[in-house]
Amino acid sequence: MTREQALSAAFPNAKPARQTFFLNKQQLDAARKESGVDFSEQLVIRYAGPNGFAYFDTHRVRTLPETVMIVVTPDGKVDRVEILSFDEPTDYFPKRRWLDQLLHRHLDDDLSLKKAIRPISGASLTGQAIVNATRKVLALHHVIR
Amino acid sequence: MFKRIMVTVAAALLALPVFAQNTEDLEQRLKALQEKVAAVDEMKKEIDVLTQEIETLKSGALTTGTTQKAASEPGPGVSIGGYGEFRYNNPEHGEPTADMLRGVLYAGYKFNERVHFNSELEVEHGSTERAGSVSLEFAQLDFLVRPEFNVRGGVLLMPVGIINEQHEPTTYLASRRPLVEDVIIPTTWSEIGAGVFGDVGRFSYRTYVTTGMDSTRFDSEEGIHEGKQSGSEAGASDLAIVARADFHPFEGTLFGASVYSGGSGQAAAFKGRVRLAEVHADSKFRGVSLRALVARGSVGDAAQIDEQNGLTGDESIGKTFGGWYGEAGYDVLQRGTMSLTPYARYERLDTQRSVPLGFERNPENNRRIWTFGVAFKPISQTVVKIDWEKARRDNQWNVALGYIF
Repeated sequence: MTREQALSAAFPNAKPARQTFFLNKQQLDAARKESGVDFSEQLVIRYAGPNGFAYFDTHRVRTLPETVMIVVTPDGKVDRVEILSFDEPTDYFPKRRWLDQLLHRHLDDDLSLKKAIRPISGASLTGQAIVNATRKVLALHHVIR
Repeated sequence: MFKRIMVTVAAALLALPVFAQNTEDLEQRLKALQEKVAAVDEMKKEIDVLTQEIETLKSGALTTGTTQKAASEPGPGVSIGGYGEFRYNNPEHGEPTADMLRGVLYAGYKFNERVHFNSELEVEHGSTERAGSVSLEFAQLDFLVRPEFNVRGGVLLMPVGIINEQHEPTTYLASRRPLVEDVIIPTTWSEIGAGVFGDVGRFSYRTYVTTGMDSTRFDSEEGIHEGKQSGSEAGASDLAIVARADFHPFEGTLFGASVYSGGSGQAAAFKGRVRLAEVHADSKFRGVSLRALVARGSVGDAAQIDEQNGLTGDESIGKTFGGWYGEAGYDVLQRGTMSLTPYARYERLDTQRSVPLGFERNPENNRRIWTFGVAFKPISQTVVKIDWEKARRDNQWNVALGYIF
């Protein structure tokens, strides 16, 4: 799935506006603290659609990268999660029903593999990577909205 | 009146050069401002181009831009990974030992989206110059047809039990793998073969035809463990069939079962059919880890295998064998990336539940083991485990260090 295909699926019949944000040090620190995820990117790009904002995040799963699109509602809840690229072995690829656990969640302690998100049997690194990406995106959304 | 007019005109005439000068200055400032605005506009365009370039780079050029490749097209082909574990054992009756149990390098290659290769190369016990060995734990080609039906061939991990296919040290609780999943279900057990696998709704399945076991290496204490052929010039006179199904009622939880049946005589005059069946359950949720497994097996022509292997008296292989275990743990650190999980495991097994007529059972092979310990993960990919094993034969302390990447 390409980025354009993912955006079309998330916002059918609409052309989402590309928005760019440059985080200052305070915003970066706040997003890191809220998410509990260590990251250093100060450039945030998102796509604003009629009923939400699409963020793309590329991160390492085990040794190879994965790119996900996370659509967040204006009030900060996960509306959609799509995996755009995944280079690790197929055995580690999460099933749709696992991804669906993330829907309608907002950034709180429950958004964790130790809490409300059940782990993926035999693919804990994939699960951790996607949960971390979701926490990071929700924290960024809160900081810049 | 005339005087007042003259004064006004004179003042206006005097102010003209100043006005003209101000207008000229304003025009210059306006021009400079327009140039700055144009420069800012140009800079904004450049920043936009740069951010798009950064976005493309960040997403690995897989999913972006007009020159992008779709994720359904081949990505980087090679995938690597690995895991390993070190262990220190200190038995009450015996000498302490320390061992680099295994260091494993995973290598995979995606020829395209439908044909994948996966393998693990394992070095056991540190060095081949001492007690170590090097082996291919598995090396398989997957031909992906559709989620419900795919084909696999090569040196395959036998889909029996829980540990045999998921044996990285971060995936099980204690410093030692359950003994039930070592001598009752041989682990790590791989054979050359081929078969099919897939997911149907909340069920997953795997079924393979493989080389059978080699009965010349069966014994009383470790049962059929050493009979696995691991794709090493394997005898293929006797084949085996193995099938497994798992039910995933919800994420993080599975219930499953597997059956295995195959000859182990290979070139011998007898079949030596090994039958093995097990049921298992595994669940992780909100920091709680629960796991249980029951396995039963039998070996046909056990007396002939005893004769072949020169086993007498209570050294006989088990005509039937079996065991079960249950374990539980709870992560007491509910926040952050670290975890601290106290755990307990109880297992009971017997490699000689029955023996052929004329042989005796050795009560030492009827084992019950309690394990109590704690696992600490500074990050989810590394673990330190400390536990105490209480067994009929001996008690011992274990310390293990494991990693996966």
